Amino acid sequence: MKQKKIDFVKLLKGFKSGWVGISTDHKKVLVHGETLKEAKLKAEEKKLDLFFFPAGERYDNFVG
Amino acid sequence: MITVEYSPMPGLKNSLPQPMLPLKFINGTKEVSTYALVDSEAAGAVISTVIAEDLGIDWQKIPGVGGFSVGGNFISHAAKIKVRIFDEEFGLNVNIIEGVAPYKAILGQRDLFQRAKIIFEGYKKVFHIEFRNYN
Repeated sequence: MKQKKIDFVKLLKGFKSGWVGISTDHKKVLVHGETLKEAKLKAEEKKLDLFFFPAGERYDNFVG
Repeated sequence: MITVEYSPMPGLKNSLPQPMLPLKFINGTKEVSTYALVDSEAAGAVISTVIAEDLGIDWQKIPGVGGFSVGGNFISHAAKIKVRIFDEEFGLNVNIIEGVAPYKAILGQRDLFQRAKIIFEGYKKVFHIEFRNYN
């Protein structure tokens, strides 16, 4: 089994803050909310099963 | 064996893609699907307070324990939840950390690396997961 690349650069382009709900194929943002709670509520209203991820973060300087 | 391609992350141009894993955190009837960084240098799993609250965990009532990383000191609050990764589901001891950034979920040595063989091939921008057989 292979999990194809999940391109967060493309997915999060245009979102400066909040949380997004991403389709289960990891290719499209289908909802956005200012908070995780708001994004999940929007997904529930649309009866969508989504993956949630924060927008507006920068990952280039992370040292774990 | 599952092969996962590294994920390009927002930031500077030409920054390195990262080993990200789609998963579902579960706490009783509450669930959230998100993505976690697979970090061989992380001692244990980390989630943000935002994710903890979404899972119904009242983390402020859990006594905090001091910890440290290359970025400095932090206070973590321990909780036990479940995680589902592809078809595998198992209990997960997590550290809930305030203001954790940029990654809101991280899996490390005490959890995923005990459950599965992980092989990083950074030069190919992939990693491989082979879950242990407990039968």
